[in-house]
Amino acid sequence: MTDAITFPDVVNWAVPFFIAAILAELLWIVIKGRGGRYETRDALTSLIMGAGNVASGILLGFIAYGFFMVLWEITPLDLGTSIAVIALCFVLDDLRYYWVHRFGHRIRWVWASHVNHHSSQHYNLTTALRQTWTGTFTFMMVVRAPLILLGFHPAMVLFVGGLNLIYQFWIHTEAIGRMPRWFEAVMNTPSHHRVHHGRNPRYLDCNYAGVFIIWDKMFGTFVPEMEEEKVDYGLVRNLGTFNPIRVAFHEWVGIFRDATQPGLAWRERLNYCIMPPGWSHDGSRETSTAIKARHVQAHPEAAGTPGLPPLTEHTS
Amino acid sequence: MPLSILLPMVALGIAGIAVLLHLLGLSRRAVLADAAAARAAWLREFPGDAPARVTLCHDRSAALIETETGRGVVWGMGADTTARYLDGARLTPTKTGLRIDLPDYTAPRIHLTLDATEAAHWQDALKETA
Repeated sequence: MTDAITFPDVVNWAVPFFIAAILAELLWIVIKGRGGRYETRDALTSLIMGAGNVASGILLGFIAYGFFMVLWEITPLDLGTSIAVIALCFVLDDLRYYWVHRFGHRIRWVWASHVNHHSSQHYNLTTALRQTWTGTFTFMMVVRAPLILLGFHPAMVLFVGGLNLIYQFWIHTEAIGRMPRWFEAVMNTPSHHRVHHGRNPRYLDCNYAGVFIIWDKMFGTFVPEMEEEKVDYGLVRNLGTFNPIRVAFHEWVGIFRDATQPGLAWRERLNYCIMPPGWSHDGSRETSTAIKARHVQAHPEAAGTPGLPPLTEHTS
Repeated sequence: MPLSILLPMVALGIAGIAVLLHLLGLSRRAVLADAAAARAAWLREFPGDAPARVTLCHDRSAALIETETGRGVVWGMGADTTARYLDGARLTPTKTGLRIDLPDYTAPRIHLTLDATEAAHWQDALKETA
């Protein structure tokens, strides 16, 4: 079995490109007067979150890598490092990304890590870098286990994961409208991903794709960007702070406070960790499903349109 | 990439972009154009709880909101806005108005620019809430 395999750390090597692209997008917006918005403190917070994400990778990356290397020792399979294998690994890892991302929106424990990526009310290339500091604690590295056990080397899996992240950088922009139809049909694009960052009821919890939008179409979570409904970026309840520490940890603090409040059954404490964001033991809060249902009640004409449920006894 | 290159590049990149944005005038805080804008900003956060009364600050940076269920504040967050109910709020007078401390990890402190009359009005209104 090949252990001494190395791949470039592509995310770190992409940092100069990230900086140059942000400057180019900013220049475009300032000169053209359209194509997005920038605000100093918002962008600064996003960039610090990005730097913190790199730092957390350096400090905690050994945990996931150690786990992957244990799996690599166990598996009898080794697919090698041919271009075809790397390409296959890229596609399968993108499927892995889809599910981790979907869990990230539907399981509060994972959302606690991912929420900071959605916490900006802006949508520009700095938003792409507003990444988690706490991904290791979600234990979502287990979703990569099948790839390693199938014989894809851990270094290769991390390499294609890095390429996936770099691909997703350029789609965080309002400067690009729609790509050619064939491209929109197969690939994740700025249009598809704008929808994912929307806090409009219609746009909640959809378009989880990393690189290929086909996963959302296959698994029924695709919602197109609609001309008649402009995307409103941010969280259902927007943050009142730019402090990166609070941005990084606020949902973890929320989980702790909810799960440790007095008078709850153990099952309720657990549910505050694993149920979708917005779940509460007394029904005093709203999940995305409840928000969509309430929206349809108030706007019955929108029922059954993309991203919204039909009017049923449950919603009417 | 060696850390000796990565770290300075990241630090300079972040600082450079922040300075550039500020020099381009992109640090301006959101201003609530009028009471209708404050109302809309509140409803953006709490769509199910319509304001019954809106009291806009003189510099239009924030507004006191009164609804059937309680009182709240809407204020500028960078170029945008957010809002919170004022349950459990502590008010502290400052040289420029009031500081509101909230028992909310996501919005712990709000600095309001108020004149003396406004500050007194906010304090009176919030005595019933806190």
